Amino acid sequence: MNSDRIGCCLCLLFSILLFAGPGRVEANDEFTFDLEEIEKKPLQWGGYAELTFEHLDIAQGAALSTLNFPGQPPTTIDRISPSLQIDGSWGSGISSFNWLLKAAGQQDTFGWIDFADVYEAYGRIKPNKNTTIDLGKQSSLWGKGYAWNPAGFINRPKDPNDPQEALEGYITAELDLIKSFDGSLKNIALTTVFLPVYSGINDEFGAEDNVNLAAKLYLLYLDTDIDLLFYTGNSRSTRLGADFSRNITTNFEIHSEAAFISREDKLVLLENNSSRLEKNTVFRGLIGLRYLTTNDLTTTIEYYYNGNGYTEEERILFYRRVADLQPTFEETDSFFQNIRELSLRGYGKPYVGRNYLYARFSQKEPFDLLYFTPGLTAIVNLDDQSASITPELVYTGFTNWEIRLRFSLLTGGSFTEYGEKQTNNKVELRLRWFF
Amino acid sequence: MLYSKKIIAALALLLLLPTWSLALDGNEILARIDKNMQPESYEMYRKLINVEPDGSKKEFVLYSVKKGPATTVALFLQPASEKGRTTLRRGDNMWLYIPNVGKPIRITSLQSVVGGVFNNSDILRLDYSEEYRVRGIEDQGESYLLDLKANSNSVAYDTLKMNVDKKTMLPVTVECYAISGMLIKTLHYSRIKDFGDGLVRPSMLETDSPLHKGYKSVMLFAKIKRKEVADEVFTLNYMSRIDELR
Repeated sequence: MNSDRIGCCLCLLFSILLFAGPGRVEANDEFTFDLEEIEKKPLQWGGYAELTFEHLDIAQGAALSTLNFPGQPPTTIDRISPSLQIDGSWGSGISSFNWLLKAAGQQDTFGWIDFADVYEAYGRIKPNKNTTIDLGKQSSLWGKGYAWNPAGFINRPKDPNDPQEALEGYITAELDLIKSFDGSLKNIALTTVFLPVYSGINDEFGAEDNVNLAAKLYLLYLDTDIDLLFYTGNSRSTRLGADFSRNITTNFEIHSEAAFISREDKLVLLENNSSRLEKNTVFRGLIGLRYLTTNDLTTTIEYYYNGNGYTEEERILFYRRVADLQPTFEETDSFFQNIRELSLRGYGKPYVGRNYLYARFSQKEPFDLLYFTPGLTAIVNLDDQSASITPELVYTGFTNWEIRLRFSLLTGGSFTEYGEKQTNNKVELRLRWFF
Repeated sequence: MLYSKKIIAALALLLLLPTWSLALDGNEILARIDKNMQPESYEMYRKLINVEPDGSKKEFVLYSVKKGPATTVALFLQPASEKGRTTLRRGDNMWLYIPNVGKPIRITSLQSVVGGVFNNSDILRLDYSEEYRVRGIEDQGESYLLDLKANSNSVAYDTLKMNVDKKTMLPVTVECYAISGMLIKTLHYSRIKDFGDGLVRPSMLETDSPLHKGYKSVMLFAKIKRKEVADEVFTLNYMSRIDELR
């Protein structure tokens, strides 16, 4: 690890904390409201700078350690990751331009890597109160699920451990039509998205040289949010979906998503060590709830069914084959290459099992400690009972600062999803400064 | 003689006036308070200040638009960490939009969007007469004490005890109770200000709570102006664009 670089980052961080300070002021001032501070400007921008420290305890002998660190995996990895996110908009009359830029680096045992990307950059025209037209790179977040969105047909996959993080968009043309009514149907909105896929344009979405169409019809009917979703095009197979969300009482919300996907690929390892590419008609579904107790404990629970996921037997066969690799195998070995290919295209991806449970508990300001929120997130593979358990502490008491401390523990025996992950546990401290 | 009769008649009228006031229906008083506090459809800016026991403060600035008695939306302008957060309320339905998350999620009225004494219900408050009915009224000389009961169990506070200044017909203090009878918080209105267009009302609301001993929250009001906007503004698709209304 490059200790000089880490030292520099730490010095920078403590300098910021010391001199930028928490940004709070003393209350003996008169309470005032300066109207200049609320004046709207055509150009607006903001964002955050962040520094994350991680200590990873590497699972020796686990399948993904073997595949990701051929030879001798390290016992621990210390990592420091600075990142910067800048968002903004410029508006005039019925038009505006919006952007979201992200740059991040990572320094650890293996050296320094970094990237900078335009997550969003799109123009918007609003010709009348019912119509909005967007053109450019923009992320879509369809679906009602908190951890997973099986009906989010043009979403980037999100990390259930950090579902609130910004995601990169796709270059699209989008038309949004909204109409409100009196009566049981209060609102109807149709969102239509054209998503081209060509070399250099959205080429990670699917097959190239196609223009795809996705649509979402939203209804607020009888105090229930309802979406009907549709995707067609030759980059991916045709998909149909629906979701809903509703408050049963003021402190109890339920939501659900369902998706039907025709001809979705699944790469399966066979007993004879060859592989087969299946084209399956798939159902994916999610049902969830959010509940708030009188003492401010928020509970979010979701059950996710992944119809194209690997069965327990399929995953055990894969993990066995990885375990069968001789300790002296070469990276150029064709069997190793095949297994690694299967890992990258299927078995090694997150949430590739069939049945999952997500549970998050978040206690706002316990014992009257303002701005202090402890939480616990658990993601369980219900087929093999392996799990990821992540307690955390978040403090937001300093204006424009968020400090988060997390510990992630992965539990599960041999040949289980979380038992075969790369890490046994991880400690993470994240400092985020908003500007 | 005629002169004396006129005096007696005038005195009788004067004596009758308080009786007429007392005879005012409690719900009419509540409706008049709502009318005095804000136009039916309006925009306004608010600064929320959380004051901690050590005297330090944390400030938030919100822009909000309300249409009719039960539809309102609020956008956080400051601080940077909360900028762009938007809460929408249509009757009992509430949603929160966080810019990075991108999609609005349903929330509950008691949940707090920011830390401190204020919760969603305080930020997205509807007309008092929309959420409460008067079940008792006590004449206290220069003020009325209204005993308000929530119209449904979806309202954040089950009972309110509202002290109303008779002269201005504006609330002075409001005690908020849970269904268990526990006092959750007390609101203190002050700094009567002329906002223009005939609107004269308090420009400061201080809140203290026995649940957060030593902490205090202050809400300052500015630029309360009549504003008519389309119904489509109060929809999930519009939540990311509320700043366009300013």
